[in-house]
Amino acid sequence: MRTLRHWWALGLILGLLTLTLASAEAAQFNWQQFKGTQLRVLLNKHPWQAGIEPHLKNFEALTGMKLVIEVYPEDQFRAKTLVELTSGASSMDVFMTMPGQEGLKYMRAGWYQPVDEFLKDPSLTASDYNWNDFLDKARDAMSIEGKLIGPPIQIENSALMYRKDVFQKYNVKVPTTLDELEAAAKALNGKAMTDDGQPGFGFVARGKRAAATSQFAGMLFAMNGTWLTPSREPAINSPEAVKAIDMWGRLLRLYGPPGSENNHWYEASSIFSQGKAAIWLDANSLFPVIEDPQKSKIIGKVGYAVFPKGPNNHPGGTVAPWGLGIPKTSKNQKAAWLFLQWVTNKEQVLKLQSEAGVLGARDSVWKDPKGKAKVPADLAVSLAEGSKVGTPFWNPPVVAVAEVRDAVGAAIVTSIQGGDVKAAADKAAAEMKRIMAETEKK
Amino acid sequence: MTDHTHTETPAPGTISGWSLFAERHPVLFFTTPAAVVVFILMVFPVFYTVYMSLHSWFASSVTSPEFVGLANFKRAIMEDERFRNAFWLTIYFTALATALQVILGVALALLLNRSFRGKGFFRSIFLLPMVATPVAIALVWMMMYNPTLGVMNYLVGLVGLGPYKWASDAHLVIPALAVVDTWEWTPLITLITLAGLATLPLEPYESALIDGATPAQMFWRITLPLLRPTIMVALLFRAIDCLKTFDIIYVMTAGGPGFASETLNVYTFQVGLFYFHIGYACSLLVILFSLVLGVSLVLIKVRRGSW
Repeated sequence: MRTLRHWWALGLILGLLTLTLASAEAAQFNWQQFKGTQLRVLLNKHPWQAGIEPHLKNFEALTGMKLVIEVYPEDQFRAKTLVELTSGASSMDVFMTMPGQEGLKYMRAGWYQPVDEFLKDPSLTASDYNWNDFLDKARDAMSIEGKLIGPPIQIENSALMYRKDVFQKYNVKVPTTLDELEAAAKALNGKAMTDDGQPGFGFVARGKRAAATSQFAGMLFAMNGTWLTPSREPAINSPEAVKAIDMWGRLLRLYGPPGSENNHWYEASSIFSQGKAAIWLDANSLFPVIEDPQKSKIIGKVGYAVFPKGPNNHPGGTVAPWGLGIPKTSKNQKAAWLFLQWVTNKEQVLKLQSEAGVLGARDSVWKDPKGKAKVPADLAVSLAEGSKVGTPFWNPPVVAVAEVRDAVGAAIVTSIQGGDVKAAADKAAAEMKRIMAETEKK
Repeated sequence: MTDHTHTETPAPGTISGWSLFAERHPVLFFTTPAAVVVFILMVFPVFYTVYMSLHSWFASSVTSPEFVGLANFKRAIMEDERFRNAFWLTIYFTALATALQVILGVALALLLNRSFRGKGFFRSIFLLPMVATPVAIALVWMMMYNPTLGVMNYLVGLVGLGPYKWASDAHLVIPALAVVDTWEWTPLITLITLAGLATLPLEPYESALIDGATPAQMFWRITLPLLRPTIMVALLFRAIDCLKTFDIIYVMTAGGPGFASETLNVYTFQVGLFYFHIGYACSLLVILFSLVLGVSLVLIKVRRGSW
């Protein structure tokens, strides 16, 4: 018995040694420096979470740390993290976060531990991590008021999805600018485009109050408009922004389905996937809906492209990442950084993207043939390209995001209904000013 | 209370202090648990809501509530355009939905009160909508109302009308929602009215027949006046429910397009649970509560008096 136990111990040591050597081969980096630490990780139920969970035992083996993973559906996840952070006594070490949604609120409340220092420290960051490999605007989106809160784990863009067959049949050029977009929508509106030759709409997109704003943001950016001026005054009634609101509404009113003002992405996606629209502007991460044989009649007929450019070739579109953050209250911040780093290193991102089709944020992975395997070829190209030029401000950079989205969304609805856009934009700006004064006072 | 004398001298050791207490104060003993539950779950929240309505509190910041007196109410009534819009929409929706339901519900009850073959079957069928889940109903109706893919435009097209935008049209959305509410809740009015019809005396009808009254006269002069208290109860139930309708509106339009179907309850939900202005949301709730109470009192008065 005794000898047998010795053999076990020897085997274990040898095994650990091999593991350590293998990782040491990759880089002279001490993954074991926080051995024995236990990390509490809160995740939102999400394709990324489903993809990474089976691999986490490798992290535990590599670092000698123990992970306690908690997964909640999105609504409960948001409520749970908010309550824990508000209490000021959370035992979380890592949590999933969407900087565009809650970033400023959490940053102003002092709930994020910035990771800039960890990233610069060679004893805490492996030399092959290569932060600059992350797509430009995805990196920007993870910074709030100049402080980096963590790495992005999944990205999407507001982008152009179009019916390749319809464009070809009617000999219309795939739009690269907003002017061409409107021309194409106009030319294709009412043309036969379903399987049985029924006419469809030229254009479809979200028009429902708050829901519309996250995609409209791509057009606002293309028109060279912004949510706020540099001094944080509302800019939603600037001439550029008014042009964007006007165009979004005009496209839906003239070339879109009736009732667009109540359409969220799922209404828009069902119209598009039933073959009843030629162009859809929305998040490109929705591609599985279009390519789903159970629900879609247009599988393989859809092209994916970057958001059309605005006047003077100004780029459009948005970059919206999910990321990971470390709460200020965590007692294991440096150990948590090792976790953030490991799950977003090139190897893991490639694994998730090639196995589970999770849209990662690393340029090199998008260039790798394996990284492109699970997505349509032009989506791979346009996503990498769009994530280098789009705006990270898919949401207004304010504390009260939901309330401001409703105020701006009301102006978009007015535009769809053919009302006075300038007056609606002025009203939205006044609302924004009031909301910001109420919620951002020190 | 004289029963107590029998049990005043129990055998020692068989009855504990608690039982003795229960024996002596049965009223206190049996009502306390219920009273405690009601207090914790109903009385306390109401008073806490009123208390919070006097505060300004943006719940997602780290600041604590600040006492502002009646400022929330002043803002709602004097300055908040969305509140004013929501207030009138609530009344519009309630008036439209209850009127439709009462007229249809009473008509249906009169029809089902006659004897015909398969009466029991039809009665059960008509009551089914009431049993269904509101969220499921809302989702199905939303699909039917879809201007592009829905069946409603096809149906009205058969008689040469439309196409309409239904729930996506700022002017049609409240009637469209009232139709859904009517579809779901007309059976309740029918049910209550049927019960009322069953209790009507026969004598007035007999003498009316002898006097040579027409069926229409009998309906307007006898049935309706006798049914009035019953109908008013049904109306009261529906009016209270309509004033605070949330599920079908939230699921179908979330208050849209724009704010064209944002009733008080939907607006309050947004303010409280999406914008996190807890104090202001509480003051809106107090206003909604007063509105419901006011309408109920008026209806109860109408029921007692003559119309």
